[in-house]
Amino acid sequence: MEPELRMSADGRVTILALAGRFDSYTAPRVAEQLARAMSAPHPQVLVNLEKVEFLDSTALATLVQSMKHCRQQGGDLRLCCLQQPVRMIFELTRLDKAFEIWADEGEAVRAFAGADVD
Amino acid sequence: MRGRRCEHLLVRMLTDGAGQERDIRSVLASQRGRLATLAETWLDAGARGYGVWAEGRSVAHWPAAGPAEEGAGLSAPIYVGRRVRGELRVSGLDSPAAQARLEVEAQMVSRLAQLVDELDEMTAALVDAQDHLLALYDLASSTRSQLGVPDTLRTLACEAARLAQAEGAFALLVEPGRGPLVEHYPEPLVERKLLLGLFEQVQAKASALVLHGASVATVLEDVFGIRNLLFEPIRIRGNIIAGLGLLNKAGGDFGSPDLKLVQAIAEQAGAQIENVLLYQETLAQAKLQHEMELAARIQLTLLPRRLPKVAGLDLYAHSRPALQVGGDFYDFMALPDRPAIFAVGDVSGKGMSAALLMAMTRTAIRSQASFMSRPTPQEVLSRSSRDLYDDLTEVNMFVTAFVGQYEPGLRRLSYANAGHSPVVFCPAGGSARLLWADDPPLGVIPLDHPRGQSLSFQVGDMLMVATDGFSEARNPAGEMFGYDRLLQLVEKFGRDGESAEEATRIVLDTVTAFGAGQEQDDDQTLIMLRGVAL
Repeated sequence: MEPELRMSADGRVTILALAGRFDSYTAPRVAEQLARAMSAPHPQVLVNLEKVEFLDSTALATLVQSMKHCRQQGGDLRLCCLQQPVRMIFELTRLDKAFEIWADEGEAVRAFAGADVD
Repeated sequence: MRGRRCEHLLVRMLTDGAGQERDIRSVLASQRGRLATLAETWLDAGARGYGVWAEGRSVAHWPAAGPAEEGAGLSAPIYVGRRVRGELRVSGLDSPAAQARLEVEAQMVSRLAQLVDELDEMTAALVDAQDHLLALYDLASSTRSQLGVPDTLRTLACEAARLAQAEGAFALLVEPGRGPLVEHYPEPLVERKLLLGLFEQVQAKASALVLHGASVATVLEDVFGIRNLLFEPIRIRGNIIAGLGLLNKAGGDFGSPDLKLVQAIAEQAGAQIENVLLYQETLAQAKLQHEMELAARIQLTLLPRRLPKVAGLDLYAHSRPALQVGGDFYDFMALPDRPAIFAVGDVSGKGMSAALLMAMTRTAIRSQASFMSRPTPQEVLSRSSRDLYDDLTEVNMFVTAFVGQYEPGLRRLSYANAGHSPVVFCPAGGSARLLWADDPPLGVIPLDHPRGQSLSFQVGDMLMVATDGFSEARNPAGEMFGYDRLLQLVEKFGRDGESAEEATRIVLDTVTAFGAGQEQDDDQTLIMLRGVAL
């Protein structure tokens, strides 16, 4: 897994696209990228999990910690494009209630922008 | 070595005009007796005078009384290398034999001059080496007593500045993944950022950087008054991650003796810094080990020593901590006047912080369950969440928690689940299924109104509340134990009528066998319940 960091077309949202297994082995690298993504004030981070087939409790902890950090800084960390097994893990632990989860990356980015206007 | 030293001597004599007379004099100083004997034999043989001359002036002459005779006579050149550096003169004799004899003597004096000078050189080199050895010994003893990296760097800079006679010095260490450490002596002469930039050059070059004259950057000279600089890399475990720099050599530029000295210091310093780093790593490991032992002790102390007896339930629980202790716990609260409450939790993270949060969470749940007049699982969870949320947010951790309550009269099991998994329920004769959480873990978002659930829990029904240390246990191939294997196990327990204790033992053994010797990454904790006759 090589986490890939990029900006949305409008430059407002940092998108982190992950692939493969997101677990205790790969979490430190993801955490590094998330730290970079969150370095701006009011960080707006979108994690695209489209190519992630599995995540474990360490991965969940990494996402939760980053999400809380973003919210404390007046931003947010949201998720998009969850595959079924990954979605199941979020539902099983009810973390789908804590995260804002979107089916589509474009919609998620637009929702960030909309929230910003409000 | 000897050849090089002679060559060096020659170069010095050829280039250094003042050297000529000095060498002849030093020969005279040490060989005066022999020269005097030679002079006597000449005088006995009828010569009027005998003398050594250099640059047209007399250096020594016999007989000692009276002035040196300048008039015509015999003379023979004293060569050093290929050049004439002086001459022997004899007056009052004029024969080919006397001339031949004088020439042989001049050759001998040449050779003597050379030998005496070589000896001087060797003595000087020995004294230098001795000085360096003493300096390095001083350096070693002053740095050996330093246990911290900054102190070691500061001592190094101080000793290096003193030995190389520089106005100032600095030593730095840039460990991967850590902020650079820069120490100065006696005080910073150049700003840190600039030094780190120069260090990158030293790293790239993998050899010393020497700047003087025009090569000193304008900013170094204009802003910081640096005339010259010598920056030597220090290898730590084979990598250039440290360096030693000297600034403003007293009375000149840094030359090759300084470079040699600083190289010797850098080698010594590299070994010393390695030792300090090793010491600190060992210390950190010992601390970590101690912390882990303490965390494990906290965890074990807080687990119930005895299992309660609850009518209608056969129950068992077990927790085995991983080497790097996590924050798992289980607890039972069985007061005589109310239905028994049990809880299983798992704190995110590992080590001492996880163990402490586990203790806090257990205390929060236990006190809510004990002090409420009519506790329900969702109310216990709701209040615990309120107690813990700020602290959990502060340390950026969270806790999954399952709180259950069994009412024997109703044969009802009610529960509230904040992000906890795996929880497996298997009705007698039916299939096992996962009970999903109804709320996220404690500490993720405020849980104002957690949801409660209830199950009818009859004879032969089984419930296993485990932690993810089981489902995420790995085998050597990296494969996880997963939920399906746990579901199959619990279903089989239901069919086979295993006791809670036996079922627990089988789960632990099966997961251990699956791991096939792989180290246990996370705590494994479970409560097993089986419905039995009242």
